[in-house]
This record gives sequence, C-alpha cells and structure tokens, in this order.
Amino acid sequence: MGNGGLIIMSNKFIGKSVKRVEDKRFITGKGRYTDDINLPGMTHAYILRSPYAHARIKSIDTSAAAAMQGVVTIMTGDEVGHYGVPCGWQVNFKNGDIMKEPPHPLLVKDKVRHVGDAVAMVVAESREIAQDAAEAIVVDYEVLPAITDASKAVEAGAPLVHDDVPNNICFDWEIGNPKAEVDEAMASAAHVTTLEFVNQRVSPNAMEPRSYIGHYDGVYDKYTLYTSTQNPHLIRLLMCAFVLGLPEHKVRVVGPDVGGGFGSKIYHYTEEALVTLAAKKTGRPVKWTETRSEAFLTDAHGRDHVTKAEMGFDGDGKIVGLRIKTFANLGAYLSTFSTAVPTYLHGTLLQGLYTTPKIHLDMTCVFTNTTAVDAYRGAGRPEATYLLERLLDLSALEMGVNPTELRLKNFIPAFDGVTQPGYQTNVALQYDSGNYHGVLHRGLEMLGYEDFRKAQKEAAASGKLLGVGFSTYIEACGIAPSAVVGSLGARAGLYEVGQVRVQPTGKVSVFTGAHSHGQGHETTFAQVVADRLGIPMEDVDIIHGDSDTVAFGMGTYGSRSLAVGGSAIMKSLDKIIEKGAKIAAHKLECSPDDIEFVDGKFTVKGTDKSLGFGDIALTAYVPHVYPANLEPGLDFSSFYDPTNFTYPFGCHIAVVEVDKETGATKVKRFIAVDDVGNVINPMIVDGQIHGGLAQGIGQALLEGVEFDGNGQIINGSYMDYAMPRADDLPMFELDRQVTPCPHNPLGVKGAGEAGCIGSTPAVVNAVIDALWSAGHQVKDIRMPLTSERVWSAMQS
Amino acid sequence: MELTGIHTLNAPAETIWAMLMNPETLAKVTPGISRLELESEGVYKAIAEVKIGPVAGKFEGKAEVANAVAPQSFTLRVVQNSKIGNVNADINMTLKPLSDTQTELSFDGKADMSGLLARTGNRVMSGVASTLTKQFFKNFEDELSAAG
Repeated sequence: MGNGGLIIMSNKFIGKSVKRVEDKRFITGKGRYTDDINLPGMTHAYILRSPYAHARIKSIDTSAAAAMQGVVTIMTGDEVGHYGVPCGWQVNFKNGDIMKEPPHPLLVKDKVRHVGDAVAMVVAESREIAQDAAEAIVVDYEVLPAITDASKAVEAGAPLVHDDVPNNICFDWEIGNPKAEVDEAMASAAHVTTLEFVNQRVSPNAMEPRSYIGHYDGVYDKYTLYTSTQNPHLIRLLMCAFVLGLPEHKVRVVGPDVGGGFGSKIYHYTEEALVTLAAKKTGRPVKWTETRSEAFLTDAHGRDHVTKAEMGFDGDGKIVGLRIKTFANLGAYLSTFSTAVPTYLHGTLLQGLYTTPKIHLDMTCVFTNTTAVDAYRGAGRPEATYLLERLLDLSALEMGVNPTELRLKNFIPAFDGVTQPGYQTNVALQYDSGNYHGVLHRGLEMLGYEDFRKAQKEAAASGKLLGVGFSTYIEACGIAPSAVVGSLGARAGLYEVGQVRVQPTGKVSVFTGAHSHGQGHETTFAQVVADRLGIPMEDVDIIHGDSDTVAFGMGTYGSRSLAVGGSAIMKSLDKIIEKGAKIAAHKLECSPDDIEFVDGKFTVKGTDKSLGFGDIALTAYVPHVYPANLEPGLDFSSFYDPTNFTYPFGCHIAVVEVDKETGATKVKRFIAVDDVGNVINPMIVDGQIHGGLAQGIGQALLEGVEFDGNGQIINGSYMDYAMPRADDLPMFELDRQVTPCPHNPLGVKGAGEAGCIGSTPAVVNAVIDALWSAGHQVKDIRMPLTSERVWSAMQS
Repeated sequence: MELTGIHTLNAPAETIWAMLMNPETLAKVTPGISRLELESEGVYKAIAEVKIGPVAGKFEGKAEVANAVAPQSFTLRVVQNSKIGNVNADINMTLKPLSDTQTELSFDGKADMSGLLARTGNRVMSGVASTLTKQFFKNFEDELSAAG
C-alpha cells in the first residue's frame, strides 16, 4: 500500500475542486427524496405520540378513530408491542455484567417514557385523515414524575424510567490507567485545574425530516422499504434479523436521495418496521413522514454529558494526569449506537494530542425520560475534545502562561506512521500519523498571536472585550477495523464494499455501500475512479443506496466513506487493471508483467504498442481473441476492512468580541487548519469543514434542547431552538496540512466531522479569555453562551 | 409557567366572592374561557379558545373550585385538553378585605403544559401570562362597574 501516495494514477481530477455532479438535481429541486416517491394505492400513516414524559397507559380506546371514514387500520402496542428495535453495541459494566438493555417496542403498551413515545399508528387514505383519526384516539394516562438530568437520575428515589433498571444506570464503565495511578499523579501535581461543565444536548436538524415507505408485493412475496437512511443495508440487516424476523433476500431497502443526517439517520427507527408491518397487513404501500415538530421529539439527539474533569501539571507545565467523572444521558431507550458514543468513541480520544501519562475516565451511562441520544456529527469525539481543550485553555489562564506554548510543550512529537511507528495512547488507540506542532504553528501565523494580544489590550481601553480561544483536536475516523470494534462489543463488522462494473463500451458503473446524503460521493468517488482508469468522469456512474443493486454495505458515518468505501473501490480497480493487463498481454503477445497501465492505456513497457481501456473492456465482453483459462467480463467486487482507524487532527482558533453591557458575543474570526490526509476534492472538503464549523459554533453560542421539570421539550420548534445562521458566523479562514494516512490506498483520513469536533471549545475558550482579560475569572459558562449567561458571568 | 397576580378592586369581598362563584361571570372575566357549564357542585365543563402568538386552539376541559372558604379563598383547578397539548393549572385565589368597599384579590399558582403547547413559544408564554393577568383584572373591573 506504500505511503498513501497517488503516483500510480493520473492526476487529472484528483486534487481538483471539480463541481459536484449531484448538485444539478439538488439545486433545481429535482432531487428524489423518500417523500417524493408516491406508489399506486399508497396510504398514509400518522403516529399518535405521548404528550407526557413519563406516564402509565391505563387504557387506549381506538373505537371512534377506527369508525372514521378513510381509516384503513389502526395499530397499537397490543398488536406490535412484542417487536422492538435492538441496540448495535454491547458495553459491559465495570464488573463484567452485561449492560441493561430494556426493550424498545415499536408501539408502547405499558408506559410511555419520553414525550413523543409512540402509542398508536393510524393508516388512512390521506395524511390528514390519519392525523384526525389519531386525535380521536382516547388514551387514559396516569402521569408519573419524570427525570431528565443524567447526573440526578442515578440518585436514590429518582423516578425509574424502566422499572427493572436500578438507579436508571444502563452501565458504568472506565478506561485508561488504573484509577490509583491517576490519583497518585494528581496528588503529586504542582497545579490541578478543575472544570465542572455540561456538554448540552443538541438536536440534529437534518434538512429532510425522516420519511419511510413500506411496500409489500404479494406476487413476489417481497418487501421494499424506502427510507431516509445513511445505511440501507444495515437497516435491512437489523430489521430482518433482529426486529421482524423477515428473510433478508425477500427485503429490499432503498435509501434514495437523503437530505442530511449528521448521524441521526444511522439508526434503525421503530417507524421503519411499523410501515413495513402495516404494508403487509393492509396490502397497500404505507408512507410516513415526520413533521418538524416530531423530529425534535424523536430524531436521536446528541451530546448531553455532565462532567467533572481535572488536569494536573508539574512545575514545568507538563501534563501529569487527567481524571474525569462523566454522566452520559442515553435518553429513554437505547438507540442503535448510543452505547458506543460515550465509551469507545469518547473515552478513547482522551489522550488528545498530548503525552499525558496517566488518564482515567469513570463513565456512567444513564436512562432518563428524554429522547434517545446517539451519534451526532463527531459522536463522542466532540465531547472528548471539548473536555480537553477547555481544560488546556483554562489551565493556561490559571497558571498565567501562553495557551499555545502550553500545548506545544505537551504535544506528541510528529510521526509519519511509515518510518516511525504509530503512537500508542493510554486509552486503547494507536494513532496512525500526525504532525500536531505543524497545524498549531500555521494557525498562529494566520492569527498573529502577539498582534492579537496587543489589539485585546487596546480594545479593553475602549470598552470592548476581545478574546481568543484555541482548540487542537484529534478524531478517530474511517470507522472501523472489524476485529477491533468486535472485541469492544460492536455487533457488526465495519468494513465496506465497492464493486466496479466495466461495461462492454468502457463505461463504468461503481456500486458502493457508502451512502451519500450531502457529502458529494457521486463526484469524489468518480474523480478517483476516472483518474485510476484514465477515463473521463462522465464515463463513471456512482450507484449507492439500494440493497438490490449494491452487494452490501455498512453506510456512511464516522467520516468513513472515502477512507473505507473509497478503499474498497480502489481494491476492485486494482483487480480490474490486473485482469485488463492479462487481456492486453494476450492481444499484444507479451507477458502480463511487461504491461503497464498509464493514462488509460495498457502499453508494452518500452514500446509504443498499446491498447486503450475501451478496447480491453470490449474484448472482455466479446472474448474472441482471449487468454485461455480467463473468465470473460470485467466486473469486480471487494470488501475492504481497515487495519486501523484514521486520525485527522487540526487547530481551530476563534476570536470573539463580547459586549460588556449586554454579554452579546460575536465571532469575529474563525481560523481552521485541518489535516485530513490526502484531499481528493478541496472544494468538497472545504464545504464539509464549513458545515461542521457552523454546527460546532452553533452548539457553543446558540443551540441546546431544553426540558422543563416535567420532561417537556420547551424549545421544540425553529422559533424556539436557535440554529446558526449566516450572520452568526464570520468568513471562515481555512488552511490545510497534509499528513497522509499510512494504511489506506488513498492516504485519506476523512473530513466530515472535523469542523464540528474542533470548533466548539475554541469559541467557549475565546469568551472565557475575553472575560479574564477584564478581570472576570470565571471557569465556565454553560453552553449555549447566550448573552444573558455571559452577562451574568460578568456580574459575579 | 408561574401565574401570579394581585389587584385591588373597589367592592367588598362578599361581592367579589359571589362573582367568582358565578360561572357566567367567571367565564366572562377569564381571558380565553368562552363558556363554563356547571357539571356538579363546584365542577364546570370549560370551553376555551386561546390564541397566543403562533399557538391557537380550542380547549375542552374541566374547571373545579376546591377548598372554598367563603369569602376568603379557594383553589381553581383547570385541566384542559386539546389537539395542541394539555394544560394543568392549580391556582390559589385569595380575597383580602382592605375596607368595607375595597378588596385585594390575588392569585398564585402554576400551569403545566404538554405537547405542542409546551414545545412552541413556551418562553413567550410567560410574557403572555402577565398580559392575561392584566386582562383578567381589567375585565373584573368592567364587570363591577357594569353591575354597580
């Protein structure tokens, strides 16, 4: 695999900002999303949801609703409550006991456990009739006290979300060095910085709401599920094998155009199984599309950690220890990957970029009467980065040192992972390659640190507060080596599938198990294939999202599409070229070893004798003059299982201005120097970084799901939930460093989550820095940093 | 949502008490309540139509007068259900005679909301609550002068 260089390919497209081929249909309103699909005889479903966060169901009366004209069927927990959706990752208690895994029924029979819990589904001739009928269903609830805060849910006497889960604890867990060693290191520290904070819950807010269509074809005894998912094959596997017990070969799952996911469309949702059951029952297609209001209640949320973290330093400013206690809120039910996020996607990143010798995380994962929490752009890694980077900047303030010098002093030295080994952390992972000093130095050049400090002083004199915040992050992407994640409790392998079918005319169809829902795979993957085969991009079609056409796939999340899915395609391309060389050698009457493939031509080395890619493709399908013992055709499928995660990293710097009188905070500059390995399409990478930054800055300043004392979400609409808008953000200043990934053929590390992982702590650090510059020595302001909270912090 | 209000009315406590115990008057002065129908002693069927900013709906529910100590205090319990969510309110009303012709009417309680009502515009509701409170006392004064 070499060092990840691209020397074997022509570089006509790779590294160029090729405009996205998929955008033509998207920006002309012609994308085909699930809700755009209408099947003959289709019915519409509406789900009646609990208005209470915690209540026992005493009775459900559907008689009035069932009698309404246009109602086709009504389903309740009595009919389908024995079906439930599974959790995809088993984590054990510290003592080895298996995590508590209470059922997550498709429709609830006994008691509802969060606002929005599904109680009944009405299928009717129109969506309006279904909704009217649902409102005619009478549910008699006995309202119970609700608990929403994970750190309080474990206390004695707290309401129990699941009657048989004591103290609401799903599991407790730890990672790192033995606790006693960390305690000893902390006791010996010259300075200990202590930070207690909440990494608040956010709502994913994909542009397209979730939408599903169930279809059953009795003639062929075959089901089709159209779903707004990030991973159609995974949904098919989960729904067939673990929920409904349907034969997988009789179920087709299609994820057509999908309008954003950010993790929230990874999971197998109850409604997917419900529409499938209802289609069989009624013999008609059943469509369900959520309202935006339902999205706030039922799309898995992100983050929600309550943490106390301590970082110890010796007299020279070297980190000697890191000790953390965190309560992670899982919500009322286990979503597909919910248990992996606070553990293996969070605890394993607590080394950060630093040589910290002793680390211990004590984690308690807790059920509450809230919407399920699962991966949201970054998934655990933003929480780890927030914790570390807040501690670094705060420690610098407390010790009166330069926050960037403190980092440089503690960074892991550069290593390429080829001539130098990877870096073994104290929290299980081995980093593949890195140059952490490089990104910080470049960020500082762009910022002008000394000039900023001068400007900060001058601004203070004129009554304005300026602050700068740093965040140097690392993430584990390219998810994931199957054997590694399997040993950690994953109930799936995390390889990817890439099939390359060369058509007789030399046109190429590529089938990938990765799924594009905004990332631009149809462009990036085509750039790779076109350059590898030396053909125009127009000759390459990228096909994804349909379990009947794509052999298999694990989907798109964890910044894995190019690193894992692209590598699978590369493997198939190698096989195509190897076979093509055999065909060419036969026709050119030489040994296959004497053939080289350059710029789309199979050439006898050192001669001008060559055959074009199209000639070889045609010969493969019209094998009249053809090697003996070689099969016709040119079509290969490969599974690629990565040998390690990839480890993108970078340096984010925020400059903020805080209004002394009101606490209003404006991000004046945002600098991001990211190292995502080799870059295929810089424009697409920039776009991914931009979107991630907007979401990360959004969490710092604007976003946050709020519950009242009864477990009601009190900001479940766009009037109440503050999404970042263009005028909340400055023009981003981006740059890149390239440290190729040493263990995949493209040398790529992944860019989907970086912006969201690095940015949040940089912004909060900048506000804290601004306040300290005016003498307000506050340690923390709870996110989102609304003007009221910042103002209050300045009054204390 | 916290609900509090205090206002001095120009009438003796007995007059005000009688008005509050009269479902027709109570319906008239309470913003949003369009009708109260006596179901049993102290229990009314309440029909309400509310439009608060973006949230509009017709509510049907129960209003109950409990712990009545004439003419000093009672608890008004309201349970309202609608397509846009449910409201549960417990309001303690107190009448304090200031003189033969003046009474201080105060209330103190909270309303729990669920459903769309809780999710949408919750934070503007507190502002709305104070508007409704003012309206309640203004309506009461209008009724008093109409009666007077």
